[in-house]
Amino acid sequence: MKILNTLILTLMFTSLVFAQDVLPRMQVKTLNGDQIQLEDISKDNQLVIISLWATWCVPCKKELDAISDVYDDWVDETNVKLYAVSVDDSRTVKRVKPLVSGKGWEFDILLDTNSDLKRQLNAPTIPLTLLVKNNKILYRHSGYTPGSEDELFEKIKEFSK
Amino acid sequence: MNRYKLIVLLLCIPFFASSQDDEKKDYGKLSGGIESNSQYYVDDAKTGDFEQEDPFRSNNYLRLNYTYKNWFAHVQLESYEPNAILNFYPKYNGTDIGTFAVGYKNSKIEVTLGHFYEQFGSGLILRSWEDRQLGINNAIRGANVKYRPTHSLEFSALYGRQRDGFEVSDGSIFGFNAEIGLATLFKFESTGLNLGLSYVGRDEDLDIDNPNFESLTNSFSARLDFSEGNIYSSIEYVKKGEDVYAELGNIIDDKYFDGSAILFNIGYAASGLGIDATFRRMENMAFFSERDESANVFNQNFINFIPALTKQHDYGLTNIFVYQSQPRLTFNPLFKSGEIGGQVDIFYNIKKGTTLGGKYGTKLAFNFSTWSGLKGDFNINDRSYEDTDLFGFGDKYFEEFSLDIKKKWSPKWSSIFSIVNTYYNARYVEDRIGEVNATAVVGEVTRKFDGGKSLRAELSHLFSDDETTERAKNWAGGTLEYNFSSRLSVFATDIWNYGNPDEDQQVHYYTFGGSFTKGATRVMASYGRQRGGLVCVGGICRFVPENTGFTLNLSTSF
Repeated sequence: MKILNTLILTLMFTSLVFAQDVLPRMQVKTLNGDQIQLEDISKDNQLVIISLWATWCVPCKKELDAISDVYDDWVDETNVKLYAVSVDDSRTVKRVKPLVSGKGWEFDILLDTNSDLKRQLNAPTIPLTLLVKNNKILYRHSGYTPGSEDELFEKIKEFSK
Repeated sequence: MNRYKLIVLLLCIPFFASSQDDEKKDYGKLSGGIESNSQYYVDDAKTGDFEQEDPFRSNNYLRLNYTYKNWFAHVQLESYEPNAILNFYPKYNGTDIGTFAVGYKNSKIEVTLGHFYEQFGSGLILRSWEDRQLGINNAIRGANVKYRPTHSLEFSALYGRQRDGFEVSDGSIFGFNAEIGLATLFKFESTGLNLGLSYVGRDEDLDIDNPNFESLTNSFSARLDFSEGNIYSSIEYVKKGEDVYAELGNIIDDKYFDGSAILFNIGYAASGLGIDATFRRMENMAFFSERDESANVFNQNFINFIPALTKQHDYGLTNIFVYQSQPRLTFNPLFKSGEIGGQVDIFYNIKKGTTLGGKYGTKLAFNFSTWSGLKGDFNINDRSYEDTDLFGFGDKYFEEFSLDIKKKWSPKWSSIFSIVNTYYNARYVEDRIGEVNATAVVGEVTRKFDGGKSLRAELSHLFSDDETTERAKNWAGGTLEYNFSSRLSVFATDIWNYGNPDEDQQVHYYTFGGSFTKGATRVMASYGRQRGGLVCVGGICRFVPENTGFTLNLSTSF
């Protein structure tokens, strides 16, 4: 109990600066093994969708399939860019490249093999979908139900202006 | 209490920082997450009363991350009150600090003091990680330093002890790793080539007089990743030095064995087609931070990451016969020295506009995996063995074919068909009797309505010749899920062992519940009867006894 009290007290003091409104500063691996700075992908007002997914996650794949069907239209209309960050660990990460090819997804794929980004985003479950611009998180949604890509697109239109 | 003071200090950094730097008002960034998984177990007229202590059990996690310029810190508080949910590792008990760390990072250097998660290469030699469903958190407590002099070079060095419940295990771990981007160094234009080299040592002194005994066990890994155009490949070899043999958790101080692993992967990826093949051979590769934990059933104290390389299936009935990797050397109750095998995945998209592709295309995913014991001559009396040949296959442990066909019929209708054919050698995988041949067939259809509403229905059947009491013969299953919007969903699911020759074992394992999601917050509540067996996440399984009750999962981040 003592620890809990200490923590809560400290939390209250620091509550002024709370808010997960930015992406963590970290390097993330691309599918080709290169490293990119996460903060670079949304610089210069580039609106990006970041979707945490895995090859074994059915709703994740449904969401990315659904977005893939309309992705060209989204890009034409809003210039948005999707980064699908796979949290597959080394057991399944080798499946990412053939699965992405097999499905014909044309997004950028990033790898978070030991869940470092997932942990920094405090995301216990996937899919997790973020809208980010200039490294600021503008919208956050977890889970996928058919049709929620339409809701996401409304948000994209709103933030791409 | 010193730890708590340290944490308070960490969390107060913003104030100290602000007093030094009043003008910019940069307090740093604090973020966090809460996860809570609770169960209330009840008596069940069909399957029996709940006979253990604490019918209400709850696992709770509070994690706080703090960053200020190049500095970072985190603390994770964990609370298992009044007890951890059923069949968790018993050392997860009570409320305490689970992990904490402080560190500094810029583009060249990263230093972490405290608990850290790390993985060398594929993890075959070292991985520390967390999975809250399985009750695994083997973060290393110590120091981790990474140095990246150029884009193509990374060196790391670490030292520490692995987390064991709220304590740390007895053995010290030393690790060194180098990642070398050969393609960049040699200025290859279209070819990717990376080299990785690692050393991991575990030092645990035991009271053993035998001159062969050394407290330090060394392991080495070398790996190469290659890609050119549509083709990619990787190979890894790990050698684990000689170490004292432990049997069923007891150390046999006059028996010493070394271990090794080979991992090979090759794939082809072009638009509409992806093929991936993996081969792995492991001999005596279970590597623990504490030797007498080698028989623990809770996946604790593992230094390396050696999950089963099979496909993870999506449905209740396709997750009854799940392979678990067999990395260990053991003479008792059965002789096993490791495993050999592999898997092939093929992903194919039948194009739009063709007869089979229809208007929206058809997506296929095929998997074949096969695993066997190593071939070897062994002598159970003096506990010795010899490998006859490196690539010899011994007794077959597991084999599986599966095919998923995903089809969108119209903007409103889509479906998935899945078939899984499994051979499961329970004698070797579970150390009990019997072999199983089973085929599962699953059909799932989704109807999308306007306004974000949708309905999903799934029907499944398992044809099985299994004779194990609690899961014998055939099963049937079904799921209904209705989404009111992207925020609110309800579901009901049931699997039924209707074919069991023992009528008392013809049990319905049903669950119904709902979930609500808004922003970063998610609440899920359900009531149901859980099948006794393995709960598997990513090829690692935890045994859960049969139980009935309420479940409440909450998570949020801020």
